[in-house]
Amino acid sequence: MNEEIEKRVDNVNSKIKKGENVYSAGHVINVENFIVEASGLDDVSFYESVNIANKAKGYVFGIYYNKVVIAITSKTDDIKVGDGVLAEGHEFRCSFSLDAIGKVIDIFGNDLIAGKKFDKLINVKLINKPIPIMDRSPVNREFLTGITGIDMLYPIGKGQRQLIIGDKKTGKTQIALDIITNQKDKNVVCMYIALGKNKKEVKEIYYELAKRGASSYTIIVAAFNDDLPTNIYLTPYIAMSVAENLMIQGYDVVAIIDDLKKHASVYREISLASKKAPGRDAYPSDIFYAHARLLECGAQHKNGGSLTVLPITETKNADITDYISTNIISICDGQIVLSAKNFNQGQKPAINYGLSVSRIGGAAQSDDVKKVGAKVRQKLLSYLDVREVYELSNEDEMPEVVQNQLHEGEKILSALNQYKFSPKSKKEMLDSFKFIDEGAK
Amino acid sequence: MIVGKIISIFDVKVEVILEDFNIAIGNILSTEDEKYKFEVVSINNTSAMCISLGSNYGLKKGSSLKLFSKHIEIEYSDKINGRMFDSFGDLIDGKKLESDEKRETSVPAVELNAINVESEMMPTGIKVIDFFAPIEKGFKMGLLGGAGVGKTVLIKELIHNVYTSSKSHAVFVGAGERSREGIELYKEMEEAKLLDNMSLVFGVMGDTPAGRYKSINTGLTLAEYYRDEKKEDTLLFIDNIYRFIQAKAEISSEMKELLIENGYPSNLGSEISKVEERINSNKNGSITSFQAIYIPADDLSDEAVQSVMSYMDGQIVLDRHQAELGLYPAIDVFKSTSKLIDADKIGKRHYDLVEKTLQTLSRYNDLEEIISVLGIEELSDNDKQVFYRARKLRNYFSQPLFVSETFTNIPGEFVNIKDVLDDVEGILTGKFDNIDESKFLYIGAYEKRYK
Repeated sequence: MNEEIEKRVDNVNSKIKKGENVYSAGHVINVENFIVEASGLDDVSFYESVNIANKAKGYVFGIYYNKVVIAITSKTDDIKVGDGVLAEGHEFRCSFSLDAIGKVIDIFGNDLIAGKKFDKLINVKLINKPIPIMDRSPVNREFLTGITGIDMLYPIGKGQRQLIIGDKKTGKTQIALDIITNQKDKNVVCMYIALGKNKKEVKEIYYELAKRGASSYTIIVAAFNDDLPTNIYLTPYIAMSVAENLMIQGYDVVAIIDDLKKHASVYREISLASKKAPGRDAYPSDIFYAHARLLECGAQHKNGGSLTVLPITETKNADITDYISTNIISICDGQIVLSAKNFNQGQKPAINYGLSVSRIGGAAQSDDVKKVGAKVRQKLLSYLDVREVYELSNEDEMPEVVQNQLHEGEKILSALNQYKFSPKSKKEMLDSFKFIDEGAK
Repeated sequence: MIVGKIISIFDVKVEVILEDFNIAIGNILSTEDEKYKFEVVSINNTSAMCISLGSNYGLKKGSSLKLFSKHIEIEYSDKINGRMFDSFGDLIDGKKLESDEKRETSVPAVELNAINVESEMMPTGIKVIDFFAPIEKGFKMGLLGGAGVGKTVLIKELIHNVYTSSKSHAVFVGAGERSREGIELYKEMEEAKLLDNMSLVFGVMGDTPAGRYKSINTGLTLAEYYRDEKKEDTLLFIDNIYRFIQAKAEISSEMKELLIENGYPSNLGSEISKVEERINSNKNGSITSFQAIYIPADDLSDEAVQSVMSYMDGQIVLDRHQAELGLYPAIDVFKSTSKLIDADKIGKRHYDLVEKTLQTLSRYNDLEEIISVLGIEELSDNDKQVFYRARKLRNYFSQPLFVSETFTNIPGEFVNIKDVLDDVEGILTGKFDNIDESKFLYIGAYEKRYK
């Protein structure tokens, strides 16, 4: 250890002899809410870590010829004009601890339930290189959620990005929690990334998961609604960076991001505050890229590990065609759409089976499930279509084919109904659809 | 040789104080260790503005830059067969290549006097395309759709049906789309032993704006190689041309250019024309292109979408409502058409059948509204007949696709246009009135199958 320090001192001394800058320093010239401008810092690098008078930390996200723009990520005291700014000579990084399993953590290495820092911390880079195409494998291993409507009809494969989208109070987070609890004893690491949620919600989720024995394999990463916008913005990137590393080490990981609409609006706030030109709906032009590079971490890695990503997006008035939603749909490998109408009619989970899609589909299902699933899906969609046509008709006057179809459709819908935290095994699911083949005979 | 030093850095832009003014727009500069690369986009008497080809993460203010190359280049020889490149002409399939000859990727479009417009029909085996929007050689086919309605599946089916049945070389450009689809296409082609006639260029959605923006020009260069050097008819698949404009918008915004509606660059039209005018047939051969066009926020009137559409000879518009009903390919028949829908070109019978089909389906839409209020019993017998025939037509135009076999569990089918015409005529004239509509769902040809 001493040798290393001596080496460093020698290094610095030789630089001073040569007349080179040892560190880069400057002064605050402009302070806004979470953005600070500084003069000086002449050889700072992009995304370098910065310390402002031991009161705040942040990173460089814009370098002009005469000033540097700094985004603040944490702050203990008010920043004043003239405060000293020190560039720390290394890229901005966050911390993670392997002891975080079963805990609620932030991206700076704090255990939020215990209210202290973890002992053993590892550095996490803010930006990783995208996973090259040739390091990926096709997605074809099943990832079981325990939810019939998903596993049978719109299956998820390990390494898939499947969006969960719907209005407020339609059970989006519940589906995520159901999925986490179903991973018990399945050798999957779960990561629940809470963005801009309130503290009470997160604590409830923590207890709910602990109660169901999910703590031994789940990490909750949280940035609350009263945290700095930069903090909320960075959290999913850091969490995904950790998840990606676990995948590369060969683990099967599932990351739930709750939710990306909030993330988009925080990113919009930061962009507008830094005077970027607004695009559609005042979001910055690179909002697609911001989400694409986040979700592209999801992959089946060639070495066997996988990172399944389940982002959540909130909609208004069941409109999944707004800008942010369609962006995310176009990035993901499918979506589970939840409908308030179905929810109010008592259908649980309130999946809109017409609008939901899985682009991986049968490739990630075992043969028995695939065979029944494809049949059920086709019958269900035909039923929903026919039901609309005959909604106002008298049943006795309908042709017999239609009557049978309507009865069968109702049976399918009721077999898909499932209360929260009551996962089903593949066999139970298959058994509940035995009537499909019997009807055909 | 050092050309200058970096004095300002942003996400995709750097400014360079110049020491050497012997540089031009389009030159590629790099740091001395070649870790960071930039393309020059504007120069004044003190400095140059550049866009970053990679990420600027960790780039130091004051770094010296050298001239790396005159422009972005890509291999221009037979060695491109079966290979996968990134947008900057570098191989990304993990195998080595000894370069024969390289060529600049940004070249002028085909001149008017060189353009060839003679052509012949090109069947795709996909019912909706051959019936509503038939294609000929040298065509530009736009496949438009919002998020998640099946553009990529259709592109893949076209690769399956058109590329595998022809001896043509094909170029696939993955612009701003998923890496997962990239590896899947590559592996599928490799397994089917079809990779040798195909070259791929990827600037995936996780790549930098420059990576996505440059992928189209790089891919076009490969298609031009097959057309101009090999004198072949070439197939070009682009998924997705919209992402190219989107990437340009990101760059323009970062360059602090003045933007037009929805944050698009003001030179949107000329950016698209430079690309689309390169995709043309000349005396050497034809380029038939299939271009997926993403519709942001399901807004078909979007400026970028409209601009691209104006270059298309034919278009298939995908519709979320059809997808909701589970009817794939989920096309909007009223918006899907091609220049060949003309009695002189496809013959009077085909033309009349298209007209009659559209009339029937249009009436169906009206009737659906009536039914939702009054119920089906209230329709007149004539309307009931139209209603049931229209539903049969609607079901008939769904099709089991080869590339979605794993999903539907039904084997794909290549359908001959002759059979489609017979079946549609049969449905419209009432020949199949007593057959249940579900019999028409996800089949190939009907009469041929049950005869």
